[in-house]
Amino acid sequence: MAMRDLVTGGAACAVPGSSSSSNPFGALANAILGSTMKAQDLKGLPESGVTVPTASLDLRPEAQFATIPGSEYENQLYQHADSQSSEFLRGFRSASHGSFEDAWGEVHRPPILPRAGVREIEGQFSEFEQIYDGGVNSNIHQIWDGPPQRVLSSYLHYFVNSDRDRTGFRPTALPALGLSESDKRCIRDRSCIMARHIFADKNEQYINEQVSSFLHCLDIDNNHLIRGPMQGPYAELEEYWNNSQTVLRPTAPHPADSWISEFSQQRANGDPEAWAHSFEKQHGANGWVSEFGQEQAQLLSAGQLGGSNLSSIAAMEQTRMLAHTLAQNNDPKFQNSKFLQFVSKMSRGELIVDDNQIKPATETISGDWANEFHMQYDKKPLEEHFSGELFHGANTWVDEFSKQHQQEEVDDQWVTEFSKLHVQDWAEEFGQQVAEGTFGESTTDRWADAYDDYLDEQLAAKPKSSASRGVYVFSDMNPYVGHANPLKVGQELFRKGLLSEAVLALEAEVLKNPDNAEGWRLLGITHAENDDDQQAIASMMRAQEVDPTNLEVLLALGVSYTNELEQAEALRYLYKWLQNHPKYKPLASPEQSTSLFHADIARLFNEAAQMSPEDADVHIVLGVMYNVSREYDKAIQSFETALKLKPHDYSLWNKLGATQANSVHSEDAILAYQQALDLKPNYVRAWANMGISYANQGLYQESVRYYVRALAMNPKADNAWQYLKISLRFASRTDMLEACDSRNLDLLQKEFPL
Amino acid sequence: MAGSGSSLKSAALLEQMKSHLTTDAGKELVKKTGLVYQLNIAPKQKMGVDEEIYVVDLKEGKVTQGAYKGKPDASFSFKDDDFLAIATGKMNPQIAFIRGAMKIKGSLSAAQKFTPDIFPKPSKL
Repeated sequence: MAMRDLVTGGAACAVPGSSSSSNPFGALANAILGSTMKAQDLKGLPESGVTVPTASLDLRPEAQFATIPGSEYENQLYQHADSQSSEFLRGFRSASHGSFEDAWGEVHRPPILPRAGVREIEGQFSEFEQIYDGGVNSNIHQIWDGPPQRVLSSYLHYFVNSDRDRTGFRPTALPALGLSESDKRCIRDRSCIMARHIFADKNEQYINEQVSSFLHCLDIDNNHLIRGPMQGPYAELEEYWNNSQTVLRPTAPHPADSWISEFSQQRANGDPEAWAHSFEKQHGANGWVSEFGQEQAQLLSAGQLGGSNLSSIAAMEQTRMLAHTLAQNNDPKFQNSKFLQFVSKMSRGELIVDDNQIKPATETISGDWANEFHMQYDKKPLEEHFSGELFHGANTWVDEFSKQHQQEEVDDQWVTEFSKLHVQDWAEEFGQQVAEGTFGESTTDRWADAYDDYLDEQLAAKPKSSASRGVYVFSDMNPYVGHANPLKVGQELFRKGLLSEAVLALEAEVLKNPDNAEGWRLLGITHAENDDDQQAIASMMRAQEVDPTNLEVLLALGVSYTNELEQAEALRYLYKWLQNHPKYKPLASPEQSTSLFHADIARLFNEAAQMSPEDADVHIVLGVMYNVSREYDKAIQSFETALKLKPHDYSLWNKLGATQANSVHSEDAILAYQQALDLKPNYVRAWANMGISYANQGLYQESVRYYVRALAMNPKADNAWQYLKISLRFASRTDMLEACDSRNLDLLQKEFPL
Repeated sequence: MAGSGSSLKSAALLEQMKSHLTTDAGKELVKKTGLVYQLNIAPKQKMGVDEEIYVVDLKEGKVTQGAYKGKPDASFSFKDDDFLAIATGKMNPQIAFIRGAMKIKGSLSAAQKFTPDIFPKPSKL
């Protein structure tokens, strides 16, 4: 019991990097039982329960420096117990900038895995054994003289072990130790926290008494120094923690969880000590030794993580702080919200947000750690390890050290990078405002609800294949694959306006004939009409590879890039259109191809338009170009001119409408879209644009119908889903949000017929 | 470029916002929101680099370039693409914050009202 408690103390209190290396007791204990403290935390620090022994990703910049691997060894190789006792004190002090919240935060931070010296172990082993093996009485009522540090150290050990002693802690007269105020405060804060672990099975009053008498002996005034609530609000946290454990537990039990349960089992049996014993039996004393080696490897990988996974680490830190602040809000509703659970999970790295999608972290570091840990113990016979490690230890260390030093550069970058993010700002702000009560209850709820919604949506939605830009994503199931002439079928379907079917047929075609420019082109056109510019661009790029001078392809690319607001790309393709046009080619001077100013291109196209005012295409290109430069009036003029020449071009009507809509002439736009839809009833893009125009006029109820119509024809139109959701909120039809999230088109169509 | 000096993708949307605020729907929005947001938008890879500053003033119904004179209710920093994703509803603002893709300063209740709902949606050619 005391063992574990000390551990708890060790991990919760230890300053990363200082106590772990220098206080062998803490280090060993931390290493051996680091995981078990989770169970303890359930009692004391519910929210923090997850001191998953992830490789140490201490996220604070200063901590990075504090833990620059190996640095702390430089001066203390082969130091002796005396100085180490003072290290113990130092750990005690430096970890405790006060309140329980800090401890909470620290526990939250993955514990720094002890890299304590293999070398140190030997020397300290006996001390450890003594304390561990119930030698409480043997070495506790002892030397209350000697150097102050040693006295203090022994005294602290005594206190920490006092629960094994049936009689509890007995006040002892100590020589004057000459503690400074800050030392005192540290000791007081730490002991308050530790006492709750040590006497976890006792009541509050008992704990307070113990702490008081402990502090009294050290001549520390318990009463006036006590700060902050130690118990009250955290009941809620505990509840929340329990909830989250039952509700959100991943299907595969966390390896660490099994430790917890094992631990609590033992605890329930009334013999907590047994756990430690069984541990020792299983793994043997040498287990500890090998574990240290293991953890050094871990550190390395942690370093790598620091370099490569900056964003996720930053996110983790951000959420950690957020969770921390939020946890202090006492509203039980809030505490139980999935939002907080979610943020907590994020902060512990159990969930990661990747590309705006939430995923469970598949390989948690702690999992790895636990696995390897087991492997180690299964494999290594004691003797071999003991002798081997001990003597090679020093060498490995040197290697280790130099390796770590190479990594420093990465770390530095990371630190700079990270400090730029100023994560603190917001969390602080948040805390402050929560404290001030700036938030009404409703806003807090709203905030939480937003998350709940989003989370539900994310968990419900199938993880999408990461469609990176410019890469065409084929459908999974395609009935047209193997068809004799899918191009012909695709063209037919396209003509009939069955766009989503046409996509499948055309995909089958380009799978069969990847060099069929026409297949790719028509696929691109179909996607554009189906309101999917990403796929349209991807298809058109392939078409352009095969047939670099196809004017339709070049224009389509110009249009799609305009829609995606990629001005430079759009202009490039529009200019290429001019360069490759048999009639207007001479206008384009070849050397101009790279650095183009919009004004120059506009001039060229205007010249072209003057050359042949009867060519609708020139006016179309001009119209697109004026869209790029957001000169909407000119763009509208150009499209209107083109429409006089080509009144049956439905896509041209849509272009006119979209231009009018973007220049806030939504009423006109709706008329233009109507023309387009009269010509092509299944024109998904025009339906979606209709919805946008209604929404932008504040006619949300109307807009919903159009979005739903568009989606019924192409459920893959992601934009429309997003917009539909917004409109549903504005139209006070939040009751239908669920149908929207679950993409229940039948229900939506029934509810919002057109 | 003729429209404005900005090469940001967001500039197009903000320009649309500007004219949107002159419409009835836009005025309704101003009446309902009554907050001033400052947006610090970084063109490419990194937040905070070469930022262009816009003010979406939903008190006065204006969109202006340059820092707000006075204290905006909330200011945000993000990258061009991320802002666009937020404004078009592709990315949840809270998630953006959690991912570190958006920084927030100022009043939180004001920040919470910064949603895709306030922006007009771009139509497609």
